[in-house]
Amino acid sequence: MAEPADHRDATLLAPIERTGPGFYWAVGLLSLFILWGAIAYWTQLDEGLGVTGLHQPVSWGFYVTNFVFFIGISHAGTLISAILRLSRAEWRRPITRMAEVITVMVLFIGAGQILVDLGRPDRVLNVIRYGRYQSPLLWDATSISAYLTASILYLYLPMIPDIAILRDRLGKRELLYTVLALGWTGSARQQKVLNRAIAVMAVLVIPIAVSVHSVVSFVFSMTLQPMWHSTIFGPYFVVGAIFSGIAALIVAMIVFRKAYGLEAYLKPIHFRYLGQLLLVMSLLWFYFTFAEYLTGYYGGEPEEMKVFWAKFSGPFWPFFWGMALANFVIPVLCLMRLGRRTVGKVLAASLSVLVGMWLERFIIVVPTLSNPRLPFGEGIYWPTWVEWGETAGSFALFALFYLLFTKLFPVISIWEIREGREVGVKEVEERVVSYLPDTGEPVPAESVRRR
Amino acid sequence: MSDRRPAPPRVVRAIQWAMAGAAIVFIGGIITWIIHLIRTAWGLRDVPSASIGISLVAIPVFLTLLGVILYVFWGLLGDRSGR
Repeated sequence: MAEPADHRDATLLAPIERTGPGFYWAVGLLSLFILWGAIAYWTQLDEGLGVTGLHQPVSWGFYVTNFVFFIGISHAGTLISAILRLSRAEWRRPITRMAEVITVMVLFIGAGQILVDLGRPDRVLNVIRYGRYQSPLLWDATSISAYLTASILYLYLPMIPDIAILRDRLGKRELLYTVLALGWTGSARQQKVLNRAIAVMAVLVIPIAVSVHSVVSFVFSMTLQPMWHSTIFGPYFVVGAIFSGIAALIVAMIVFRKAYGLEAYLKPIHFRYLGQLLLVMSLLWFYFTFAEYLTGYYGGEPEEMKVFWAKFSGPFWPFFWGMALANFVIPVLCLMRLGRRTVGKVLAASLSVLVGMWLERFIIVVPTLSNPRLPFGEGIYWPTWVEWGETAGSFALFALFYLLFTKLFPVISIWEIREGREVGVKEVEERVVSYLPDTGEPVPAESVRRR
Repeated sequence: MSDRRPAPPRVVRAIQWAMAGAAIVFIGGIITWIIHLIRTAWGLRDVPSASIGISLVAIPVFLTLLGVILYVFWGLLGDRSGR
């Protein structure tokens, strides 16, 4: 038998054992948005893409913006979790699971946007049968498949000991937990197998995650369209992805902290560290944005300048300056001093970044298509209720999936918290001692061995 | 604890190995698809180098993922020391 959950961690099992009215209210509310999305999609399927605001020359709008945004957010999980795990950052323990769940959920939603954008989803079969690998769109399909597979595995493996706890303790959904626990007993051999597999995945998932968003950027930068054909789009997209991913993770942490009473696990110190990461990413994002736009402006190429001015002072100026405000000004103001009200400030910055990063994706996709290099007429994009409904439905679907996950599995890793208490504290002490210079003073024998 | 009858171990074991089988089918399907695209590009002389270049990276990644999955299934389900 796996060891039962420590009574101190009963809070983590409570959402799975009991369901309050708040859950049903949340499901009901989210279902309304999902229904709106479903009606919108059905209308589009029935009547064709003509019911949307998409037209020539703007053939990509909200759907592709959502695709890039959701795929970006997916970097929250695996990348942040993997980096913190590999660097043995002890404060990671209560946050890795939440991050990994975000990744898997948004990858499904993000990939679904492409099916919606196709208009005729049956035509995806043509990609399978006749796809051409010289198209970056197919690079995307391949890398997202690899990332989704890796993310599911990277979410599942660290959950196995927790699923065994649920199997032994919960007394409901027994078949589900028994099957998924893979006969976990916590034996030395099983722990060795699992730890090795998690370590391999943590290393593997980082280059896959980086490649995914680089490849998403290649969909734009491999064309000769003005303000898309840029060599820094790969790293620019990766930075933006990590930036929005951290923001999404913080928002999820704060929501579940409040809803499930997880204040003892998700402390202000976690938000302070994540807030500092968010601040660094905000500065990095600003640097990339500045470099990208300055290079375009200095070149002064006429087609580029049309798009440039459309963003700066043309029809897209509210989105462009809204993006700058939400991604740089507000986060920096909120995060530069985190002395008091840390959680509130970090939440405000994160919500702002989520809005700002969605605007950033929009401002990359649409203005270039509105001012194409080829001799199409110029055009402005106005989304209809169909796109608004599909977008609202997608966000609600993500929230609903996440909520349902928390009713089936612990949203904070129980065994990793226990490992932190039992092993982590001692291990960190020994590690710190091993970093320090030798002074000739006696140090614990165990520490000397480790050095 | 629940006083309901637990699921028969044989059924549980069968589902678990079916999951491993599904992983093989899924990843095997993706690799087969990539090879199909290379063959199509080769047959049509349609820049096969791009397909081969991508597959040189993608196929080993998928095989590594499959290796991790099978290693975990084999390692956990094959361990009888704790039972």
